[in-house]
Amino acid sequence: MLERITNPEEVRTWSGAVPIEHVYTVGVAGEVFFRAIKDRGRLVACVCPDCGTDYLPPRLYCERCFAKTADYRDLEARGTVHTFTVAHFDLDGRRLATPELYAFVRINGSGGGIVHRLGEVAASDVYIGMEVEAVFLPPARRTGSILDIAYFKPVV
Amino acid sequence: MPERVAIVGVGHSDIRSITPGVSYKELMFEAATRAYEDAGVNPRRDVDSFISVSEDFWEGTSIFDEYVPDQLGGALRPVHTVTGDGIQALGCAAMLIRTGRARIVAVEGHSKHSDMRTPYHIQEFAFDPIFNRPLGAHPHYLAGLEMNRYLFETGTTREQCAMVVRKNRSCAISNPRAVYGARLSVEDVLASPPAFYPLTELDIARPADGCFVMVVAAESVAGDLAGEPVWIAGYGWCTETPSLESREWGEAVYARLAAQQAYRMAGITDPFRDLDFAEVDDSFSYKELQHLEALRVCRPGEAADMLEDGVTGPDGDFPVNVSGGSLGVGHLLEATGLHRVYEVVLQLRGQAGSSQLAGVERGLAQSWRNLPTTTGCVIILEKG
Repeated sequence: MLERITNPEEVRTWSGAVPIEHVYTVGVAGEVFFRAIKDRGRLVACVCPDCGTDYLPPRLYCERCFAKTADYRDLEARGTVHTFTVAHFDLDGRRLATPELYAFVRINGSGGGIVHRLGEVAASDVYIGMEVEAVFLPPARRTGSILDIAYFKPVV
Repeated sequence: MPERVAIVGVGHSDIRSITPGVSYKELMFEAATRAYEDAGVNPRRDVDSFISVSEDFWEGTSIFDEYVPDQLGGALRPVHTVTGDGIQALGCAAMLIRTGRARIVAVEGHSKHSDMRTPYHIQEFAFDPIFNRPLGAHPHYLAGLEMNRYLFETGTTREQCAMVVRKNRSCAISNPRAVYGARLSVEDVLASPPAFYPLTELDIARPADGCFVMVVAAESVAGDLAGEPVWIAGYGWCTETPSLESREWGEAVYARLAAQQAYRMAGITDPFRDLDFAEVDDSFSYKELQHLEALRVCRPGEAADMLEDGVTGPDGDFPVNVSGGSLGVGHLLEATGLHRVYEVVLQLRGQAGSSQLAGVERGLAQSWRNLPTTTGCVIILEKG
């Protein structure tokens, strides 16, 4: 069926790489969300008028019933740890000297939340249901990105 | 009533942790040759249409569709690519046949994982570029988040997830296709280095290279072919939401909805009673338990009890992943679903060697397109 290479020193490979660069437009709802983070240190949610599904981050349309969403509103960047993990590897597959904490934080008063880092807390002290709040970069350093939030920390 | 459709030929290449001795095209050629031999068909004469599953970034080639026809015997013939799991391609093959467009279709899926230098970067590139990718985290952190919530909601324990690893790696010892057969204890799994809490390194399926090809045929021609037919009784697939911010973290909704479609088509009302065994996605240990609950083989939170009671073991009433699953065989990228189907086909044909289950008539294969997706597929296969 298939002739085989029997001497491993005969194996040849060719290397290839390609630079991949994009701009990603945040869209109408994304614009509202990131402006609120940058200008006011707040998060924005919206709701579907048809089925009542609540979105944070906001969307232009409802993924469940396809209706246009409405009622954009500011919320405090506070919530509870819905789930969390401790990552011991980086993106290159190398073991991290200092493990990193990540969580999905359900934002109070919304149906959604944000996946982000946790900080100012030891891994052994984190629990599901823990109340946390966002730590924003100083206003002058914000660029209108999810990284304008440095991390979430426990509410003391 | 549309015509019934069967898998009439199956073949695979060597499954290995690395395959530096052959190119991806040669892997495919090897699997295709075996599948056509098994079915007794000549691809240049008998196969009406060809379907490949692949994802450009895994392959390292844009518009990879262009690079699949020749090694399958499909040059100058209808060929299309499904950017998805192999079970989706089997569903497409069944539809080509049931609509009368083709009588015999070849389906292919492969993994050349060892050719990738930056697999986790590629997987992370599948995350939302605006909300999630800026975190720059290893993609498996998402499985840690899911598992933690699944354990919280169901009361399942890390020890019970470790039992999945013990079962599947042990089953893999009897499977000649499996790369990662091993006798492990629950303590071995729990004590292996932490990866993405609550996951340890041994909770995560390791990659493998390999290719699977299947020949699918209409009932009107299946009887004239050499391969013993195994009938496709039902299939379905579904994608929940790409948004991490609005998906369910504890429940595999995609698997529940895909199973509903397949069960309706196959006339299954009680999966535990109506099916004899299953091969389900176990790319992370907890996934086997979460998926069994989504498939309604048991109620939410009860999969771990079934495991502890031996029900899903190789000698139990409802064996699950007797092949060794992805934990034992190795994860095969988009070919993973075809691998699970292959194992179900061998069982129903009575060709599973020392892994053979007694008296099985109907089985299920379920796949998940891995992180960060919420796409799942289900297929039901049965004997004549």
